[in-house]
Amino acid sequence: MIGVRRFTQAEVSAYGFLSATLVFCLLPFLWVALASIDPNASQFLSFPKGITADHFIKIFTANNGGRWFFNSLITVGAATAVVVVVGGMGGYALSRTNAWWKRPFLYAIILVRILPPTALIVPLYKVMLIANGLMGALVRSVVPPDSTRSAMQIVGFVDGYLGLILVLSAMQLPLALWIIKTYFDLTPKDYEEAALMDGANSFQRIRRILVPLALPGLGAAGLLTFIGAWGDFLMPLTFISSAELQLLPIGLFRAFQRANTIDYGYLSALAVLYMLPAVVAFGFARRFLIQSFTGGIKG
Amino acid sequence: MATISIENVRKNFGAVEVIKGVSFEVADGQFAVLVGPSGCGKSTLLRMIAGLESVTQGDIKLDGKRINDVPPDQRGIAMVFQSYALYPHMTVAENIGFSLDLKKVPKATIRKEVAQVAELLQLSELLDRRPAALSGGQRQRVAIGRAIIKRPRVILFDEPLSNLDASLRVQMRAELQRLHQELRPTIVYVTHDQVEAMTMADTIVVLNQGNVAQWAHPIELYRRPRSTFVATFIGSPRMNLVKGIIAGKESMPSFTAADGWTVPLAGRDLAAMHSQSGWLGIRPECIRLVDANTDADLSGEVVIVERLGAETYVNVAKGRDTLLVRVQGDIAVRPGDTVQLAFDRAGFHLFNQAEVNFDHSSNDLE
Repeated sequence: MIGVRRFTQAEVSAYGFLSATLVFCLLPFLWVALASIDPNASQFLSFPKGITADHFIKIFTANNGGRWFFNSLITVGAATAVVVVVGGMGGYALSRTNAWWKRPFLYAIILVRILPPTALIVPLYKVMLIANGLMGALVRSVVPPDSTRSAMQIVGFVDGYLGLILVLSAMQLPLALWIIKTYFDLTPKDYEEAALMDGANSFQRIRRILVPLALPGLGAAGLLTFIGAWGDFLMPLTFISSAELQLLPIGLFRAFQRANTIDYGYLSALAVLYMLPAVVAFGFARRFLIQSFTGGIKG
Repeated sequence: MATISIENVRKNFGAVEVIKGVSFEVADGQFAVLVGPSGCGKSTLLRMIAGLESVTQGDIKLDGKRINDVPPDQRGIAMVFQSYALYPHMTVAENIGFSLDLKKVPKATIRKEVAQVAELLQLSELLDRRPAALSGGQRQRVAIGRAIIKRPRVILFDEPLSNLDASLRVQMRAELQRLHQELRPTIVYVTHDQVEAMTMADTIVVLNQGNVAQWAHPIELYRRPRSTFVATFIGSPRMNLVKGIIAGKESMPSFTAADGWTVPLAGRDLAAMHSQSGWLGIRPECIRLVDANTDADLSGEVVIVERLGAETYVNVAKGRDTLLVRVQGDIAVRPGDTVQLAFDRAGFHLFNQAEVNFDHSSNDLE
């Protein structure tokens, strides 16, 4: 009996309990995955009798799923880019400054994460509406009347890409600033000073030294931003009303709401599609997450 | 190559003055060491020469030209950091060649120059490695390589050996001296280790609390310390200091320790200091253990014996004073023994109440 260890009764019951919990947690995911390819999907978990791609095809043909997906990708992708750039510069500044307002500022921005977004929605909408009015006036003065509407869908603050991108960025920026600031705290100033002595100008110091050194921190912040913004429901619901600007989570929600018949196969396929980018992003950026939360720069 | 002049330089951080009017000069090709306890301002001064800190007042000159406001990379000065600060995302070759790459030197030229520097520093085998895969001594050499490839007029070292273990430190000390002799740059080297300072320097600037305590050649510092601070900082084990008073007849002065014992100070003109209190300093190697029947100056009780093999340090108590005696070889004394001590009078240093040397309070190199 070499290599085989007898389990104690306590261990058996512990593993048994954990396994049962695991199965319980995984079942919904299993159901979604199976139902999305099951021609006769129902609300009950069952092994499909055949495999079909019809549900996925329906998303892109009968509905405007491709457009929803594109809208989500554009707004969330842009918000991630904004957060990484602004968070990178701001995080660096917050790490290096000794200004008296540093601590108050850091705690003030974290309030944005603490307050429930729903509570902020009314004043935020009011502000965005005013900004949208100003932007509308500006757009009407430079763009011919027949293309005003499509221009506003891009640069509008309400029911436009720009507004949603800014709101999503603003929601995610505080956490990103904290992550990147903490990462720069662990990055000694010596590297920058050595580069300065080597004759690097400020642009070269950023591009050749700071960005490569801060990559794990920037990557981790970017990943959390992407996942956070991708999963956001309230902001797209509040700020987007045009059908052609619809985002994936809203499309999913509206499909679920359709009163008389619920098409479980279609819903599941939509859910799989919605989950996919977050999982892919996590797969790519996981090592940044691990690096930036387990220790700074080695060497 | 270049001469560095520090003229009345001051530095304030907010309301705190950390450098309080420092002046010294490093001649072309010299190896100068700034030494002092932590917080004396030596690293700040080095960073001011590098251009990483601004100068509050006074001038820093390179070959007579004021460089206070010249950007760091245009001073012709390279610096080796205490942490080495090797770029972790670049290979050894990229680290060494980075400054040339920034200057848009052709890749082939960079490769050739990096190879030369690597040859000089025995790094040729390691050029493709990342800093994380190097040992402490190898990282140190890469940091030096990154400095010398720029062919700087001056190289600054900020405690470069403090992260190495003891045996590697001795080896790198010799290597740095070899490099200095081969390339002859002007070097300013900061350390808190007086052994490093004594072994490598052409000239030493001892700093204490933002002031120059003494600026002299190493042996001069050892032989003629200007103050009790320098006397106890330079030399290991440190100089014995005994508080007391200049007494005796004016023609035959003597030193009476606060604890009562007296030694004659024959052959010295101490009329001006007569009956003033002060300090007698004597290095451990200037005290001998002698037989009871010869002319002993003092007898005392052995407290602690430290045996190093080649030599033995004996702590001898006389009343409340303890004198450290350095004896060649291994000798048979035990704590509790009574021993006779004889002083080498040429090794006496007398300091007044302000802890400044009576005999030679003039500046050495200024």
